[in-house]
Amino acid sequence: MALLELDELTRRFGGLVAVDHVSMRVERGEVRAVIGPNGAGKSTLFNLITGVLKPSHGIVRLAGESVTGLSAPRICQRGIARTFQLTALFREMSARENVRLAAQAREPRRWQFYGGRAVFNAVGDRADAALERLGLSAIGDRPAGLLSHGDQRLLEVAMALAQEPQLLLLDEPTQGLSVEETAQAVETLSGLFAEGRMTVLLVEHDMEVVFRLAQRITVLHRGAVIADGLPEAIKQDERVQGAYLGGLA
Amino acid sequence: MTLLTEALILGLFAMSLDLMVGYTRLISFGHAAAYGFGAYACGWLLLHTSLPMLAAIPLAALLAGVLAIGIAWVCTQASGVSFSMLTLAFAQLLYAVAYKWTSVTGGSDGLAGIPRRPGPFALHVFVGRNGFYYLVIIVLLGAFLFCRAFVRSPFGAVLRGIRENEAKTLALGYNARLYKIAVVAFSYGLGALAGALYAPFAGFANTALLFWLLSGQVLIMVIIGGAGTLIGPISGAAFFLIVEHQLSNYTEAWALFFGLIFIAFVMFAPEGIWGLVRARFRRSAAESEYRRGVARAR
Amino acid sequence: MSFLPFLVTESVNALSQAALLFFLGVGLTLIFGIMRIVNFAHGTFYMLGAFIGYSAARFSGSFWLALGLAPLAVGILGALFELGVLRRLYRRDESAFLMVTFGLALVLTELIRLGWGPEALPVGPPVAFSGIVMLMGEPFPAYRLFLAGAGAVVALGIWQFLERTRLGLLIRATSQNAEMVHALGIDVNLVRSAVFGIGCGLAGAGGVLAAPLVTASIGMAATMIIDAFVIVIIGGMGSFPGSLLGAVLVAFVQVFGEYYVPDLALAFMYLVMLLVLVIRPGGLLGKEA
Repeated sequence: MALLELDELTRRFGGLVAVDHVSMRVERGEVRAVIGPNGAGKSTLFNLITGVLKPSHGIVRLAGESVTGLSAPRICQRGIARTFQLTALFREMSARENVRLAAQAREPRRWQFYGGRAVFNAVGDRADAALERLGLSAIGDRPAGLLSHGDQRLLEVAMALAQEPQLLLLDEPTQGLSVEETAQAVETLSGLFAEGRMTVLLVEHDMEVVFRLAQRITVLHRGAVIADGLPEAIKQDERVQGAYLGGLA
Repeated sequence: MTLLTEALILGLFAMSLDLMVGYTRLISFGHAAAYGFGAYACGWLLLHTSLPMLAAIPLAALLAGVLAIGIAWVCTQASGVSFSMLTLAFAQLLYAVAYKWTSVTGGSDGLAGIPRRPGPFALHVFVGRNGFYYLVIIVLLGAFLFCRAFVRSPFGAVLRGIRENEAKTLALGYNARLYKIAVVAFSYGLGALAGALYAPFAGFANTALLFWLLSGQVLIMVIIGGAGTLIGPISGAAFFLIVEHQLSNYTEAWALFFGLIFIAFVMFAPEGIWGLVRARFRRSAAESEYRRGVARAR
Repeated sequence: MSFLPFLVTESVNALSQAALLFFLGVGLTLIFGIMRIVNFAHGTFYMLGAFIGYSAARFSGSFWLALGLAPLAVGILGALFELGVLRRLYRRDESAFLMVTFGLALVLTELIRLGWGPEALPVGPPVAFSGIVMLMGEPFPAYRLFLAGAGAVVALGIWQFLERTRLGLLIRATSQNAEMVHALGIDVNLVRSAVFGIGCGLAGAGGVLAAPLVTASIGMAATMIIDAFVIVIIGGMGSFPGSLLGAVLVAFVQVFGEYYVPDLALAFMYLVMLLVLVIRPGGLLGKEA
């Protein structure tokens, strides 16, 4: 049973079909990249999977159970964590506090309004571990808003990681990063994925990053899947080349 | 003594609003609804039942907190300005009801002659002027300890997240709306506790306690005192009351000056007096840490 | 009174009420359209217009002079406030605007109380319209007829202003894309000050026009801002036709509500506001919540 199954997932905005009968299966432990030219529907797809948008048609299944139509917080609780294209952080809080709040969301007693030492201890351990894995331990006490752009992107990943998700959705993690920052991020992420226990869905524009990290690639064009396979095959695929160079009928 | 007691009651009122404004950035323009309701409820209980004061006060606050869940559910349906307008609308509604429902609320005259009934077990100590003062201190202290534990708890951490980036808290899996409803209910409940103390303190309850000017004044106390600090609003309330008492001897325009000071604070010192003090303290603490670190490195 | 005359007179009555509410709401919606802020002091500017109008009328003996002077004074005051205070806050979040305009409402209310006292002040309607006309066989105050007419004329005027004049074009452009307008070399700040001033001036005009009918008092401020907000919410924040629609709807609900269920009319209004906020946060005609 695949971890994530999309079945004819569709989303219309008035006359525009942003996501067009997309079907996909992502296996446990797989690192899958979703690529496509601008406007292909990648972010909309993410929004559909995470419950930010409701599909016009189709089903989203996580570990065999349908999560279609559930609210975003509910879907997150089911085990999907995501990062955003535009960095979304708690800027006044320190990096560590950001990750702690993310980790706390998965605690059964996260709403406790008195004391909470047990919650905070559990959360603290998870947060420190996540920061460590992303190489951010040194800047843990700095306010998130003052971190470099590269560190902020990684911080978001750390927050997602601290939620110990079944499925990790990364929306353009290297967006806006310099060449050095991108190289560093790719190093960190590939180390993370190599541990093998993560199932990752990754949207990326930078092809080098994609080929470095992805095990399989799905290509979207105008909302529909036009190719799906191993990186080498995708590189050679004529339809993909046509879509990127413009003018697929 | 009476001035101090009133300052402490207002301090409790302001601190209750701080939970919403300072810790969750839910700006309420209708907090007088909590105060007035608490006063009317407690006053009515003391006038029409034989409940002792020590029972009527918490009962009124509890009732307000429960009802506030409903109000909060409605108001949190919206956010930003719309939320604030809804809180104002509820307060106006309550004001209109109190004005018209003369049989229960005494209309524009309000409730008068509210007794400080002793008990239970013939407990007399809080009834006199000094005794009541000590009662208020105890209640304020208890409420302060509760609020402090509240904002330091996991729940409080979530509120902080909501304050800074509500969309992100949703993305992390928190049902932000429930948290907002809860903090509004607590906030109104504590505000009503203050009102419930006011009724036997002053001996009366009237529609002025529900008027929007009072909602404005308590918001001013929170902002000038320092939102998000708990202590700031308490001192803001004391400051406000003392200045009101002193200035009103000299000029009719003291409320005008306060409004202007309020605007100035929002523009130039939004963290309020206590917020400024804490920032200075933190800076000087960081300074001395730095110096200590440098000295050690040598 | 049989039903048809009743319907007609009450409807014209509602239209006159709608005119007043339109003056109140159109300014608020224009301000929101340009500046994305809700001017909490809007109801207070309305009130200020009424009181300044009272003084101007008493001083000069002319209602018309008051009608010309008061909105001007209120508008200038508004523009100055935008210049001095609001302009510094554009980089802050919306709660800062809310609180600052709330503070302004308090300050203005206190100024009114100090300047004119807490009592309601009488203003007489202009001689030309102080009589009674017959409407479908029933007596009807001429002044209300004048109001309904004035409202229609002003609505038309504002529409033409927005559509045909250069400033109107700038206003519409700025409400859609302020950055673009700025890039074209226009001083957007000036447009904002102008709109804030115009919006407040319109509210002030509404206040003067309302003065002969309503007893102006301090308690009005909170009611008025809620009314204004309801109108703008129903019609949609930033939508000029929406403010017209909202004003008409609210006026009809108020007038007929007051007749059929007098004590509940107030609660009814809030219920309407609630429903609109819940069902269509963008308003019935508006573009954004």
